[in-house]
Amino acid sequence: MNVAQRKYRARKRVNRLALALSLAAMAFGVFWLVWILVETVRLGFGGLAWATLSQMTPPPNEAGGLLNAIWGSVLMVALATFVGTPIGIMAGVYLAEYDPKGWLGATTRFVNDILLSAPSIVIGLFVYAVVVARFKHFSGWAGGIALALIVIPIVIRTTENMLLLVPAGLREAAYALGAPKWKVISGITLRAARAGVVTGVLLAVARIAGETAPLLFTALNNQFFTSDLDQPMASLPVTIFKFALSPYGNWQQLAWAGVFLITLAVLGLNILARVLTRSKT
Amino acid sequence: MSSPTQAKLAVRNLDFYYGKYHALKNINLEIAEKKVTAFIGPSGCGKSTLLRTFNRMYQLYPDQRAEGEIAYEGENLLTSKKDVALIRARIGMVFQKPTPFPMSIHDNIAFGVRLFENLGAQEMEERVEWALQKAALWEEVKGKLHQSGASLSGGQQQRLCIARGIAIRPDVLLLDEPCSALDPISTGKIEELITELKKDYTVVMVTHNMQQAARVSDYTAYMYLGQLIEVGETEQIFFKPRHRETEDYITGRFG
Amino acid sequence: MSDRHLSTQFDSELNALSSRVMEMGGLAEAQIRQASYALANFNEEAAARVMQDEHRVNMMELEIDRELSSVIARRQPAARDLRLLMAISKVTANLERVGDEAERVARMVQAIIAKGGALRPLPAGELRVAAELASGQLRQALDAFARLDTEAALAILKADDALDREFDGFVRKLITYMMEDPRTISAGLDLLFVAKAIERIGDHATNIAEFIIYVVKGADVRHSTMEDIESTVKSRG
Repeated sequence: MNVAQRKYRARKRVNRLALALSLAAMAFGVFWLVWILVETVRLGFGGLAWATLSQMTPPPNEAGGLLNAIWGSVLMVALATFVGTPIGIMAGVYLAEYDPKGWLGATTRFVNDILLSAPSIVIGLFVYAVVVARFKHFSGWAGGIALALIVIPIVIRTTENMLLLVPAGLREAAYALGAPKWKVISGITLRAARAGVVTGVLLAVARIAGETAPLLFTALNNQFFTSDLDQPMASLPVTIFKFALSPYGNWQQLAWAGVFLITLAVLGLNILARVLTRSKT
Repeated sequence: MSSPTQAKLAVRNLDFYYGKYHALKNINLEIAEKKVTAFIGPSGCGKSTLLRTFNRMYQLYPDQRAEGEIAYEGENLLTSKKDVALIRARIGMVFQKPTPFPMSIHDNIAFGVRLFENLGAQEMEERVEWALQKAALWEEVKGKLHQSGASLSGGQQQRLCIARGIAIRPDVLLLDEPCSALDPISTGKIEELITELKKDYTVVMVTHNMQQAARVSDYTAYMYLGQLIEVGETEQIFFKPRHRETEDYITGRFG
Repeated sequence: MSDRHLSTQFDSELNALSSRVMEMGGLAEAQIRQASYALANFNEEAAARVMQDEHRVNMMELEIDRELSSVIARRQPAARDLRLLMAISKVTANLERVGDEAERVARMVQAIIAKGGALRPLPAGELRVAAELASGQLRQALDAFARLDTEAALAILKADDALDREFDGFVRKLITYMMEDPRTISAGLDLLFVAKAIERIGDHATNIAEFIIYVVKGADVRHSTMEDIESTVKSRG
């Protein structure tokens, strides 16, 4: 009995040590995250006023807001989402349901994985060369397209994964009733994977909300408010970039307000995605 | 096997392959109309494989193939040029694991019906009710047709799947171990249901529970290692089987 | 009773049942021998012993039936196992009747002894031969049942005629004796009942033989013609 007790106590000691180390590691990680959030709130919240949301970006040392930047971001993110999501979902469906082992599927998957981890500045430069240089001006369209090229690989990947999680038995049951393939996919498989696919889209949106590099060479920036996608457009990330690097006080404050807004949006989208996946189980 | 009742499905010289593996060897068998036929045998004997040839389920998987003939309504199911979806609408299947679709109970049943029929809302309600009545589930769910199918218990889900299969009014109903995931009371209810169903449908059932085959079926086929060893009236198989292997299996002289 | 089941428990239960049946058979046989001895020698003691053993035979029938129900309930036997258990049930019933018949013989013997010696002229000794014959048939039947030997069963069924003829012969003789001397009628009737009991023992033996064929061939040959029985036994299926 003595040997057993000694071994038990040794195990208990190791257990406590490991637990302490993990807690320390977690605290370390969480500490930085909390600090970032605290700083963001502290510095950004102060600069947030009704004016911030209602007025245009001002020249240095004048009062103003971020309205055109916010609106520009919203437009281009929406464009990217509406273009990228259907393409991504359909490609994901193809990969999961139609050609899991074929050469086209394997190639597509491989290329997609590369795109997924491509630096966003590369994508920005690509769109610059193909769209901006061709049409000889910066535009909101170009910005939206660049963002779409980031959305697509993400949605493809998540859609394919979520569809593969749907059990084969569910599909077989639908086939057994005499449903054709497309009906099985649209009526049953996609429906079953609905929450996961939507989550994928939301995460893609959260990602592009904060992307700066692709917008630098495509939408550029715009001092004024515009809804015309043919024109260069302001966006929150680019505006923050410009204002934060400047020596002007009001610009820097607006930059922090912008950071706060983006963080809020990304946080909100992630929480929404979490809520959606939880309610399914 | 000569049976006075008509043969609904006639299997002749059927061979089945999973890739290179010869899973079913020269099966010859007739399924009697409006009767329950049970396939029994140890694990891996090919009974589920055989069942799944009847509605060409194997076609979903590229490395599976079947050769031979399954005569149904005057033509060979395996080589028929007819759309396989039409075949599956006449020969329905219920699987081992209950798989309710991610939608309401009503829509679960309506899904299959909508594939081939255009019913008005009222007619659809009636069909849904009829199917649920037949599956002995109506009383339990009539007040909550718009709740998700997944909210039902295991036994209820399986009866929902059976209702779903009946709603499209098939000719033949294939049941692949319908009770193996269920508790004894649900199993009992479904066995009762099967004896009712054979009044209107031809039923073919795979089961690993011999006593269930003895209780429920009119004809029993014993399979072993991909071959059909013996088929006959259930009473005869369980009282005096003709083959030694059948008797050994039935009396538990080997597993 | 030869090859083994996956469940060794089931095997041992079946073996135990078979042993009990054989034990009961042995007891019934012993009763016949005792009764036969009592009959031949008008021995009061032997007759009394037969009556005592009767209780044991009855108890064994109850035990075996109880055990049978338990096995059937728990094992859901099929095919040959099912037929074997059905047969065991019938065989024990037959053996219990054999015990009853032996007891009847013993009781008759006691009655005859009580009535005094008016028996002398009657051919009671012949009954001993018949009793031996019946006892022999029973032993053969039990033996064949232990081995599930259908050929032996067929032989027993064919030999049943011999016992019936013995019985008929004895009855005719008895009638002549009773006609010659009416004072012997009372004792004579007692002897007739004894003869009848012995004949019935023979019938029980043939019943057991019929059940051997039932277990092995799956055919119920009670009330079949000898030709049908023969072809069933000779058939392969």
